[in-house]
Parts: sequence; structure tokens; C-alpha cells
Amino acid sequence: MPASPRPDGWDVIYYRTTDGGCPADDFLDGCPVKVSAQLVAVLDDVAEAPPPRYSGGGRWEVMHGGMRGFYEVRAQGPRRDQFRLFCILENGTALELARRGLSRPAIAVVTGLRKPWMTAFSQRDYESVRQLGVDHRAQFPRRIEE
Amino acid sequence: MLDTSHHRRRTSERLQDPEFQAEYERTRQELAQVNAVMQRLDDLRISAGLSKADLAREIGRNDAVVRRLFTAEVNPELRTVAALAAALDAEIQIVPRRKVRRRRAPRTAPAEA
Repeated sequence: MPASPRPDGWDVIYYRTTDGGCPADDFLDGCPVKVSAQLVAVLDDVAEAPPPRYSGGGRWEVMHGGMRGFYEVRAQGPRRDQFRLFCILENGTALELARRGLSRPAIAVVTGLRKPWMTAFSQRDYESVRQLGVDHRAQFPRRIEE
Repeated sequence: MLDTSHHRRRTSERLQDPEFQAEYERTRQELAQVNAVMQRLDDLRISAGLSKADLAREIGRNDAVVRRLFTAEVNPELRTVAALAAALDAEIQIVPRRKVRRRRAPRTAPAEA
């Protein structure tokens, strides 16, 4: 069943673009069913854990270097294609969370990308994810899919 | 405050698809098992009064490797998990959920010429 709002759990929110699009939702809808099921299951598992004490079995990874500040949910699909959801953790004092429009901490799902097995995303791919993250973090309150 | 129920609503909708539901539940079970193993090891570590650095030294691994295992981010290798369990005077066990059914038909005696 989907994540129930446990008192110590986190919310899962979806970043919305200025034109009203929701890249993460679009990505999930475009994934093979089994892949989207895996990605959503990991999101729920992390949210319930919640993230600071989560040991995710390789399906939830902190990102480094230029993608510092992002976490990725990982899944493998047909022909070993790799599917990634890029997320940002929304945590802070109650006052700071309220400034962001949140009543409790949340995993903000920004967007997703797919790549063939044994290939890397390009710097342009990563830059596009970073830009969405920058836009998300600039919004007070956050602009999310409701 | 913002309405943060979108994810729960969309997941409920997606769970109406039996293929989605089966894979979702399978993944949740898999993750729960990994987490349960790591949580149990961490509980044993705390009971033994060992820091993560102590435990890393016990198994001859880098502090950061053990720290990452307990806090997120990596897929624990079975050998490392086994080494941690041994260092905490524990062991890994696989427990069948139900009696394993024989898949192969029983052998029959060869037909007589």
C-alpha cells in the first residue's frame, strides 16, 4: 500500500515547473510499469524510514560532485536500461519548513532520466536536472503538484 | 500549508494496476529485508558497545565503508554483511517462508525391455 502519513515519516512531493508541468510524474508515467512500481516503492520506503536513517540496498543513493545535494532512486528495466529519479531532501526547523509551505520534512522528486546499460548521463543531462533543482529551491512556498 | 497528498493519491491510482501492485509489493518486501538485516546488525553493534569505527577495525575495513552501510547509500555486499555478523558474534540465516515444493517430478524406474 502507499506510504501512510506516519508521524515520523516524511512526505513525498513533486516539483512543478513554471508552466504547470510535473517532470517526475511524466517520467514515471513513461516508464515500463514494473520500473515505475520499483521507483515508487523505493520512494515510499525511504519516506517511511525516514531518509536520515535509511539503508536502501543500493536503490537510494546520495549523489556527489556536481550533483551534490541530490539523491537518486535507481531501477533497472528492459535491456538493463537504467532509470533514475532525482530527489532533494526538504528538512529543517519547523519555521524553515513552514517558509517552504511544508508541515513536515519531505522528499522532493524533481525529475527522472533513463539511460542504456553501461552508459553515463551527459553533463547537459545533469545540468538540466540541476536547473530544475535550483528553480525548486528558489520557490517559497515550494511550487509542487497538488 | 501546501497540499502534499499528490504522491499518495497517484500511488493509490497506480496500485489499481495488478502488474504495478505486484512489483511494488515485491520491491517493498525486498527493501524491508535489507533494512531489517542492517538494522539488526546495528542493534547488535550498539548492544556490544562498539562504534562504527570499532566495528570497521574488527573486520579490517575502512570506517567510511561501515558508516555508509548503516546510514544509507550503498548496496551491502553479502561478504561484508557476513563479516559484520561474525564480528558481532552472530550469523546470517535464510529462513524459508513455507515448505519448498519440489519442482521436478519424481524419478520413475526405467521401462523394462
